Amino acid sequence: MIRYIINRLLVAVPVLILVMVITFTLGYYAPGDPVVLIYNEQIAFMTPEQLVQIRHSLGLDRSYPEQALDYVTKIAHGDLGTSIQTKLPVLTMIENGLPVTLQIALAATVLLVVVGIPLGILAALRHNSWADYLIVGSILSLRTVPIFVLGPILILIFVLYLGWLDLPLGWDGLFNTKVILPVLLLAAAPMADVVRQTRVSVLEVLGQDYIRTAHAKGLNMRMIVTRHILRNAMIPVVTSLGLIVNSLIHGSVFLERLFTLPGFGNLVVTSIQVLDLPVILGTTIFSALIVIAANLVTDFLYPFIDPRVRLE
Amino acid sequence: MSDIPISTAVEPESVTAESLQNALSKAPIRQRSLWRDAVRRLLRNRLSLIGLIMSTFFVLLAIFGPAIAPYPYQAQSLLHTFELPSSVHLLGTDALGRDLLSRVLWGARTAILVGIFVTSISVTLGILLGGLAAYLAGATDWMVGRLIDVTLSIPSIMLAILVNAAFKKPFELAFDGFYQATHNTFFQGSNSVSYFVTLAAIAAVSWPGYARLIRGQILALRTQEYVTAAHAVGVPTFRTLMRHIVPNALGPIIVAATFGFSSAMILEASLSYLGIGIQPPNASWGAMINDNLSELRLRPWLVIVPAVMLGAAALAVNYLGDGMADALNPKAKEK
Repeated sequence: MIRYIINRLLVAVPVLILVMVITFTLGYYAPGDPVVLIYNEQIAFMTPEQLVQIRHSLGLDRSYPEQALDYVTKIAHGDLGTSIQTKLPVLTMIENGLPVTLQIALAATVLLVVVGIPLGILAALRHNSWADYLIVGSILSLRTVPIFVLGPILILIFVLYLGWLDLPLGWDGLFNTKVILPVLLLAAAPMADVVRQTRVSVLEVLGQDYIRTAHAKGLNMRMIVTRHILRNAMIPVVTSLGLIVNSLIHGSVFLERLFTLPGFGNLVVTSIQVLDLPVILGTTIFSALIVIAANLVTDFLYPFIDPRVRLE
Repeated sequence: MSDIPISTAVEPESVTAESLQNALSKAPIRQRSLWRDAVRRLLRNRLSLIGLIMSTFFVLLAIFGPAIAPYPYQAQSLLHTFELPSSVHLLGTDALGRDLLSRVLWGARTAILVGIFVTSISVTLGILLGGLAAYLAGATDWMVGRLIDVTLSIPSIMLAILVNAAFKKPFELAFDGFYQATHNTFFQGSNSVSYFVTLAAIAAVSWPGYARLIRGQILALRTQEYVTAAHAVGVPTFRTLMRHIVPNALGPIIVAATFGFSSAMILEASLSYLGIGIQPPNASWGAMINDNLSELRLRPWLVIVPAVMLGAAALAVNYLGDGMADALNPKAKEK
């Protein structure tokens, strides 16, 4: 087991370092001289000697490999750089935004489990019926249609026409009607993965001999589903954790702009608009780190959930 | 499991000289029947037929839409802002007095163009890198594999944003240089630059899927018995590649490219929605949704029309892709 964990980590670490190097390289060639971006109009009052001095103190006069190595080492020490716009450390900005995003993402994940898995099981048990087609068809639509299309349509229907909800702008904590639409929208895309995975794996489990045995010994359907199907069908859902996390990060970028939520996605969007490169780089690396971590967690959980998996 | 084909279950036909002759004379037809079968299966599936019809509609819209658009996409009329739909402006006008219908029609061209170019670029990249990884193996394979891992572990929108930001200035400089050299108006200003930057950003995040798929296909097909057989009877490598490997690998790649086409359209709209994709005054559905979002309460059609167009186009292509996945998989059971 320990060897398995170390093996997985050994694959993940080079990927993470490569992520940092590629991100840094893209930032290195990005538009805008950092000195100009940091000092903007003050630059007109500086002498060339002062500029050279600033360049040196920021380490911008060093070669590309030196700067890249420095960047990676700093990140390893938890330093993602400093925002040009707010002059705050990028990590602090992420820490400020993350709780909002995490709470919404968590609520969306609960929705995925509570709604997505039963829907997938239902679709599989009613295979090739209208219920199956309806679930699969609408799930495909949810997966395809992006949040910034679905969002305005839902706001229009539920807020402006039906008047069921107030216009959900801003953040007043998780237990508030304002989060209903954001959570629904955030869950929409990964819901498709969860339902599809569950459906496919339940269909596979249904064809197994032990299900026939369970039928034969007179077990009722509910017992078969809860005892035999559910546990086995959960495996692929857990293994798509990386995919789900990826989807949630992607969603939060658009969601938080739509509902002006002060979270991680909002940080990303505002940093693009003012071209705050350290924040763009920092948030990119941070999100990659989360996805890699999610994939690692999946790898570690896999043998526990599915005892048939061998660790070599 | 039940779906393992049991060959003995097939009733053995008595082989006569006549039946053999029959079978042989049918041989050339049977050779092409894989694709013909696929088309038949595709058209029989109702959902994919709808997808095919709608996709064709959007492609036609992209080709002829700008020609039938009543106004130029960038024509502003500041005296006629926020007009309600009327016979002059069928879908009304936006904050700058631009005709919404015309912009939606031009937006179709943007979406389809981006889809076509991104898919071609990333499939080419995928074939190059995936093919290299499969054939050179060893260190090349490892490098390409890690590069795929890295690209896939950064959420695609984040990487696209970063590539977009990084490529903008170099592309602008290059275009400026081209303009100085050729005085071709195509290179003038930042009008067409944003298309190229957006294409680069989306292609940069789209290729890994194809590369992984193509690498896997080549590795899997190379060990197939019919490839070994072809090799054994002395078929040249190139001929084996063209006659046996490519036709068999093509199905999954076509399916992936179809889905990739719709993701590319959506990514373009996403970047434009965030204000960093296609730049104004060029028409993009994503940018139109963003620009008009503040009007959702009073003039919802300004948002809903481009949103529904984007959603419908993406869905159409995806339904088509779903149908193709079933149609091009000869092992799939006939329903």
